[in-house]
Amino acid sequence: MNRARNLLIFSALAVAILILLLRSKPTPSAAMPGKAPLVVYCAAGIKPPVEAVARAYEQAYGVSIQLQYGGSGTLLSNLRVAGRGDLFLAADESYLLIAQTNHLLEEVIPLSRMVPVIAVRKGNPKNIQNVADLLAVEVALANPEAAAVGKITRDLLRKTGEWEALEKGVRVFKPTVNDVANDIKLGTVDAGIIWDATARQYPELELVAVPALVSGEQRVSIGVLKFSEQPTAALRFARYLGARDKGLKEFARFGYQPVEGDVWAETPAVVLFSGGVNRVAIEETIQRFENREGARVTRVYNGCGILVSQMKSGQRPDAYFACDTSFMREVTALFSDPVNISRTAMVLLVPTANPKSIRTLADLAKPGLRLGLANEEQSALGALTARLLRAQGLYDRVMANVKVQTPTADLLVNQMRTGSLDAVVVYEANTSQVKEFFTVIPLTEPGAQATQPYAVGKNSEHRLLMERLLAALRSAESQKRFQSVGFQWSEEEHE
Amino acid sequence: MAQGTSGDRARHPTRGPSDAPFLISLGVISSLYILLILAMLVADASFTAPKHFWQAVQSREIRYAIKLSLISCSLTTIFSIWVALPIGYLMSRYQFPGKVLLDAILDIPIVLPPLVIGLSLLILFQTPLGRAFQQVVPVTYEIPSVIIAQFSVACAFAVRTLRATFEQINPRQEQVALTLGCRRSQAFWLVVFPEARRGLLTAATLAWARSLGEFGPILIFSGATRMRTEVLPTTVFLELSVGNIEAAVAVSLLMVMAAVAVLVVIRVFGWEKTLGRPL
Repeated sequence: MNRARNLLIFSALAVAILILLLRSKPTPSAAMPGKAPLVVYCAAGIKPPVEAVARAYEQAYGVSIQLQYGGSGTLLSNLRVAGRGDLFLAADESYLLIAQTNHLLEEVIPLSRMVPVIAVRKGNPKNIQNVADLLAVEVALANPEAAAVGKITRDLLRKTGEWEALEKGVRVFKPTVNDVANDIKLGTVDAGIIWDATARQYPELELVAVPALVSGEQRVSIGVLKFSEQPTAALRFARYLGARDKGLKEFARFGYQPVEGDVWAETPAVVLFSGGVNRVAIEETIQRFENREGARVTRVYNGCGILVSQMKSGQRPDAYFACDTSFMREVTALFSDPVNISRTAMVLLVPTANPKSIRTLADLAKPGLRLGLANEEQSALGALTARLLRAQGLYDRVMANVKVQTPTADLLVNQMRTGSLDAVVVYEANTSQVKEFFTVIPLTEPGAQATQPYAVGKNSEHRLLMERLLAALRSAESQKRFQSVGFQWSEEEHE
Repeated sequence: MAQGTSGDRARHPTRGPSDAPFLISLGVISSLYILLILAMLVADASFTAPKHFWQAVQSREIRYAIKLSLISCSLTTIFSIWVALPIGYLMSRYQFPGKVLLDAILDIPIVLPPLVIGLSLLILFQTPLGRAFQQVVPVTYEIPSVIIAQFSVACAFAVRTLRATFEQINPRQEQVALTLGCRRSQAFWLVVFPEARRGLLTAATLAWARSLGEFGPILIFSGATRMRTEVLPTTVFLELSVGNIEAAVAVSLLMVMAAVAVLVVIRVFGWEKTLGRPL
């Protein structure tokens, strides 16, 4: 029995020593005090720039970044099962799309573009110029089922009718784009179709651009995982990676073609111009957005006429959420394509008892009324009201009754509360808080509604951030907030 | 066939015209395989240069991978032997209902594709039980996951080897010991165990070598995080995935050297010990 005891003691001792040896590792970056590391699932092929950026970020901000490498598909299955981690950087969009379909992702930040090209060894010894030339040499392709570049190549070449012949003549299908590149480098094959970004990482390879493949452009993007427990820190690193003056420089250095990207700021400060009517609907969404992004959004709420004249005099907000499309048109050159978010109907507001018996727009022309309207120049509501009255031929008679004109509708509601007016024309969205004091009469005339578009400033340094704010405003939660305060959701939304 | 007594053969093992073709063909077949192995190594070596080795060894990440590989393989080996010893012994000595099924279960880790093992482990540790366990010892994507992934495969090989070893040991001596008044445990440690030393050594080296090359389950279950769960096969994978074939080959050759060194040391050391004792 001594033998058993000796063996046991020996084993235990050996295990203890080995574990001690493991523990004595020269504590790597993983152990930075106070902060949990960010876990990034990163496609192995994009390692060089990402690793460089991660080290720079760790140095600059003391946050440790744990890079988890693998094939994009493998990582995707991994993170689905493990249910932890903060960011997912896939080799191409297809994987992010799958992740999005499976509700695994929140924000997505684009990093770089890539195009399928033919790759050959340096000097192009077989003189390959186009897809037809590939039929005469040994070719490796990425498997269309396993790698996005393979699938895109197949789809594009099917359109040109070149796929069938190429597929028959192909020497080998490889599971990843790097396997194909390695085969060319090793000389196992003469050529292959891979991403230009991949080809540029191999000094031994030369790339041949093919017009038929150019439309297969893809973006490399990083997505924030839904189950991240530190989304703000994750987003901050993702923003750093995608910043044109930070991470994207590294991407360019390693042969990628980076997207434009935002300018880096640890806490970005942006300005949003918004029509006053939208305030109640968007305020909570913006506060949440600020907290999540770690950004400061300065909101300037005012009548849209005032906002437009400010912009015309040179102010450049990062985004503009107008009260009505008519007030977007005047400054459309400053912004990228506006997106309609919501609609709200115009209504008449009268005291609950309605002593002056006001029922329609025409009733406003009755002599002796005290009316409040929004200012025609200063606000969208005023402009819309004036247009409506002119269309009905009521403008002059109604204007004779107007006692007060304000730049925003909420001021009219306040005037009504003081009892100094008999009726006002406002948006339905202005009435949600005061329904118990007033009767709300919807206007049935055509054109008695406003549509609120959002657009991102063309010259903003934080365009992607403002695009994400747009996404937040279009989210289902935001929709509920809009609807709870009397807005309708814009139909265009449901595309 | 030339006829002769066994004594004749011992003195003149290659005598006789008809022995030569036999032995030559054996030699040719054997050397073909050995040549293949060596040729692979030479081809590898031709794709790298001393500077790549130097760069590899200088890299902090690769040094860590070497260390983690060596330590985790050794731990795995110890655990595997301790688990394989009882299983191998029981399976070789006792008959019981369901033994065939149990036998098949023990082969599962050998049969399953490595990726499946990794995935299964990953899923296992996300079950409520697995999560509870991880509250105490974090496993997924941490160092313990490397050892568990290696263990789940290596142990199956150790079990196979030890079972075959025990089966080759005649139970008669054990029974004699029992009739002489030994308890089962005494018979095991005093009679069977010393005879199983060679098998034990083989099982240990097999488990160790198997763990060193283990990659599929580790990639899934442990991830490929540098300075944390990166073992040598992971390094090769990472270097290959960015087209750095030179570094991948350099690390592969480092692995070969480490493996050969350890295996030779264990065999020589273990051999002498074994010979030094009466079998």
